[in-house]
Amino acid sequence: MKSSSPLARIMAIRGMPMTLVLILTVVIFQVLNPVFLDGKTVGNYITNGIPIMLITLGVAIVIIGGGIDLSVGTVAGLSAGTTMFTLVQGAPLVAGIAVGCGTGLLFGLINGFLVAYMRINDFIVTLATLNIAAGLLVVLSQVQPLQGVSVPGFAELTKGDLFGIPTSFFIAGALFVIAQIMLAKTIIGRRLYAVGISSQASNVAGVSVPHLRLFTFAASGLLAGVAGVLLASRLGAVQAFLGIGYEFIAIAGAVIGGISLAGGGGSVWAAFVGGLFLATLQQGLRLNNVDPVYFSIVTALAIVFGVVFERQVRRVILRAALHRTALFSTDQPRATEDESVVASSEGSNNNDK
Amino acid sequence: MTDRAETPSAQSLVLEARGVTKHYEGVTALDHATLAVGPGEVHALLGGNGAGKSTLISIISGVTKPDSGKILLGGEVMPASGPLAAISAGISTIYQELSLVPALSVLDNIFLGREIKRKTLGLPLTSDRRSMELAVRDLAADFGVTANELHTPVSEFGALKKRSIEIVKALAFDPKVLILDEPTSGLEDAERQVLFGYMRSMRERGVSLVWVTHHLEELFGLADKATVFKDGRTVATVATESTSIDKLITLMFGADREEFGGGDTRKIAHLQPSSERPVILRARNLTRGSVVRDISLDVHEGEIVGLAGLAGAGRTEVVRTLMGLDALTSGSVELNGRRLSLRNSTAAYRAGLAMLPEDRKQLGILADLSTAQNISISRLSTVTAAGFWMSRRKELALAESYRGQLGIKTPDVNARIGNLSGGNQQKAIVARCLNTSPKLLIFDEPTQGIDVSAKVEVHALVRDYAANGGAAILIASEIEELLELSHRVLVLKKGQIVGEVRNIPAAIEAGEFARIKSEVLTLSAAGQAS
Ligand SMILES: Nc1ncnc2c1ncn2[C@@H]1O[C@H](COP(=O)(O)OP(=O)(O)OP(=O)(O)O)[C@@H](O)[C@H]1O
Ligand SMILES: [Mg+2]
Repeated sequence: MKSSSPLARIMAIRGMPMTLVLILTVVIFQVLNPVFLDGKTVGNYITNGIPIMLITLGVAIVIIGGGIDLSVGTVAGLSAGTTMFTLVQGAPLVAGIAVGCGTGLLFGLINGFLVAYMRINDFIVTLATLNIAAGLLVVLSQVQPLQGVSVPGFAELTKGDLFGIPTSFFIAGALFVIAQIMLAKTIIGRRLYAVGISSQASNVAGVSVPHLRLFTFAASGLLAGVAGVLLASRLGAVQAFLGIGYEFIAIAGAVIGGISLAGGGGSVWAAFVGGLFLATLQQGLRLNNVDPVYFSIVTALAIVFGVVFERQVRRVILRAALHRTALFSTDQPRATEDESVVASSEGSNNNDK
Repeated sequence: MTDRAETPSAQSLVLEARGVTKHYEGVTALDHATLAVGPGEVHALLGGNGAGKSTLISIISGVTKPDSGKILLGGEVMPASGPLAAISAGISTIYQELSLVPALSVLDNIFLGREIKRKTLGLPLTSDRRSMELAVRDLAADFGVTANELHTPVSEFGALKKRSIEIVKALAFDPKVLILDEPTSGLEDAERQVLFGYMRSMRERGVSLVWVTHHLEELFGLADKATVFKDGRTVATVATESTSIDKLITLMFGADREEFGGGDTRKIAHLQPSSERPVILRARNLTRGSVVRDISLDVHEGEIVGLAGLAGAGRTEVVRTLMGLDALTSGSVELNGRRLSLRNSTAAYRAGLAMLPEDRKQLGILADLSTAQNISISRLSTVTAAGFWMSRRKELALAESYRGQLGIKTPDVNARIGNLSGGNQQKAIVARCLNTSPKLLIFDEPTQGIDVSAKVEVHALVRDYAANGGAAILIASEIEELLELSHRVLVLKKGQIVGEVRNIPAAIEAGEFARIKSEVLTLSAAGQAS
C-alpha cells in the first residue's frame, strides 16, 4: 500500500528537506546578488568549503557509528602544518601530502585505539587530542614559519583545474563516492549502522564493535588529514590557530544534513548537503557584504534552525501527506512511542562505551 | 440497554473499546476491534503474533492514538490525552517490552512520577525514600526483590528481575484496571504462581484485569473471559469455563491451524543421541567471579542440553561467558577439540557458536535496521558477493525464505524491525541464529512472546537442527518447554551445577513427565536455606 504522494516519499528521505533549503538559499543569494552563481565565484566558494566538507564527512562516519570526534578541526589544522613543514624543508610534493594525510591518520588511530580498546569515553579522548593537535601546531609554527612553499603542483591541488573544473573537486568527489559506496554497499557499512543503533545488541550478534570503532576514527582522522593538505594548498600559509572551531561547523553540518547524533542513521549525502549548506551561507554573507564579525552568529543560528527544521518539516510534511492517503498514521515509529511512556530505557544502548 | 446475553450491561462495564481501528504503513493493526471488560474480571486477550493485542493495549493506555473508535472507562469516553491521563484515571499497564529507566534505582523506577514527597522548608521537594520503601517492601519481596535491591540501579539486573520489577511497579498503586501484556514471559514457575496469586486477589478487590498471554493453559482457573483477535479483528469473546485450548487455537488461527498439528509438541518423536557421539563443546572449570563457579559441561553432537535453575542461578551468565560476552576468571572451552579464545563474540561466532539473547529489546533486535538486515547481520557472508559487497537480492531471498519458514508476519521484510510485533521480532532473531549454521546453538528463552503456532515451528527447527548433527544449549524458564526439548538437563544454583537429569525423552516416552519435572524443581530449590 505504498500510495503516499510523491512529495511525501521524497521528503521522507533523510537530508532531503535540507537539500531543498540549500537550493532555496542559493536562489535567494542569487536574487540578492547575481554574481553569486557566476561560474568562477561558485568554483571558488566550493573550493573554499571543501576542507570543511571533508571534515564533516569524517565526523559523520563516526557519528553514524554511534560515536563523536571533536578532534577533527585541529587535526586538520595540524595536518596542514605538517604538510607545510615538510615542504618547507624542500621535500617533494608526495612526501608533503603523505605526511599531512599520515598526521590525520595517526591521530585517528590514536583516538580509535583509546576509545575502542581502552574503553575511554570518546568525548574525553577527542577533546584531549583536539588540544594536543592544536598545541603541536603552535609549536610547529614557532619552529619554522609555515609558508613560502613553491613546490610545483602544490598550489594547483586547489587552484588548478581540469577541463575547467577545480582539481580539488575531483579529490573531494572521489572521497565522497568511496564513502558512499562503503556505507551503502559493503559489509563494513552495514556493521557500522548496526553498531550505531546499538553497540550492545551488535556485540551480541557477533559484530566486532571495537574494530569498527577504530575504523571510524581512523577514517575520520584520514579525512581530516586530506582536508589539512587542501587547506595548506589553498591558504599558502598556515597560521598557528588554523582549524580551531572547525569541529563545531563539521558536527553542525552533519546534524543539519539530517544525521542523528544518537547514531545509526544518516548518509553521505546528508553530510554533503549539510557541509555545502554552511559553505554556501558563508559565501552568501560575504558577497552581500555582511561584516564577518557576524558570520559565526549567523552560522550558529542557521545550525539551530537547520536542526529544528530538518526534524519538524519531515514530520509535518509527512503527516499532512500521509493523512491524505488515510492509510497511514500520524505516529512516529514505535520506539518513540515507548519513550513517551517512561523516560525510556533506550538510552542504555550506548552506555557501554 | 442492549440485550447481549453474555456481557454485562453497558453501564456496568469498567472498560470498553468500540470500533477501534489503527493503520500503520502497509498494515492494519486493528480493524474495528472491540473489547468489553466487566468489574472484577480477569479478561484474557488472545491471538497470534501481530494480531493487534499490544496495539489495542497501547491505545487503551493512551500511548497510541487510534485512527477511529473510542475507549470508554466506566461508561465515559476517555479523552485521548496521553499516558499520564490514563494512569491517573486508574489504568496501570505492564508493557510487553521492558520499559524501566536503567540508571535509576528500583525504588525510583517504581515511584517515577509518583514519588511520595516530604516537606523540606515547608515545600514538598524531596522524596521520602523511607515511606516509599515501606510502601512496597512486602510486595517487592513477594516477587523476589529484596530490600537491598530496591536501592540498586535497574541496569544491574537481568531481564528476569526487570520483569518482576515492572510487575511490582504496576501493582504498587492500586489501579482500577490492570493491563498485563505477556507479563510472565521469562518468569520462573514459582514467580508465575506468585503473580497469578496477586491477580486473583486483585480480582477479588474488584480490579479488572486485561491479560495477554500465549500460554493458553494458564487461562483456566484464572481468566473469566477471553477475547480472541485475529488480524486486527475481534473474533469472539468466550467464557473460559465453557471453552478449551483446542477451541481457542481454532479461533486464533482459523483454517491455518492444521499446519502445525494443533499445538501439542509433546507427541513429536525425539531421539536420544548416544553418548558415544563426539563431543562438540567441552567446557572445563568455567569461573567468573562469584556468578559462574567451576562449571564443567559437555555437549555431544545431536544433543540438546537444558540449563535449569531459579532466577539468579547463573544460567544466562554461563552462556554469556561461552560466547565471549563476559570475561572468564578461569576455565577453558573447546569446540570440536579446538580451544576457543573466548576473547569476544566475533571470535565465538566465527568458531561456530551462535546465541539468541534473553532480552529482545536491549540485546536482540537492532531496532532501526530492517527485518532482512536483522536476519543477516550475524553472518553477512551469506548475503554478499566476494565476501564484501552487500547483495540486496541475496539478502531479500534469505529473509523471504525465513519469513515463509517461521511465519514472520510483516508486509515487507525491508521495513524497520522495531515496528514488528514482539513475537515476530523474536522469530527474526531465531532466523538470525539459524543463518549462521552454528555448530553449537545457544538459546536463552527462545520462545518468549512467540505464539503457540510459531512455538511449534521453533521447537521443530531446534530439533531438526540437533537431529542433523547440531548441538544446542537451551535455557527456558518454562520448565515444560525445557523438558520437552532437552535430552539432558543440568541444574544450576548460585553459579554451580548442582545436579543432572539424563535420558529425558525416554522418561517422557514412559509417561514419567511429572516425575522428572519434580526432580528438576527439587534440585533447583535444594539447599535454598543456605
Ligand atoms: N509502530 C508501528 N509501525 C508499523 N507497524 C506496526 C507498529 N506497531 C504495530 N505494528 C504492526 O501492527 C500489527 C499488530 O501488532 P501488535 O504489536 O499489536 O501485535 P500483537 O498481537 O501484540 O503481537 P505479539 O503477540 O507478537 O506481541 C503487527 O503486524 C505490527 O507489525
Ligand atoms: Mg504484543
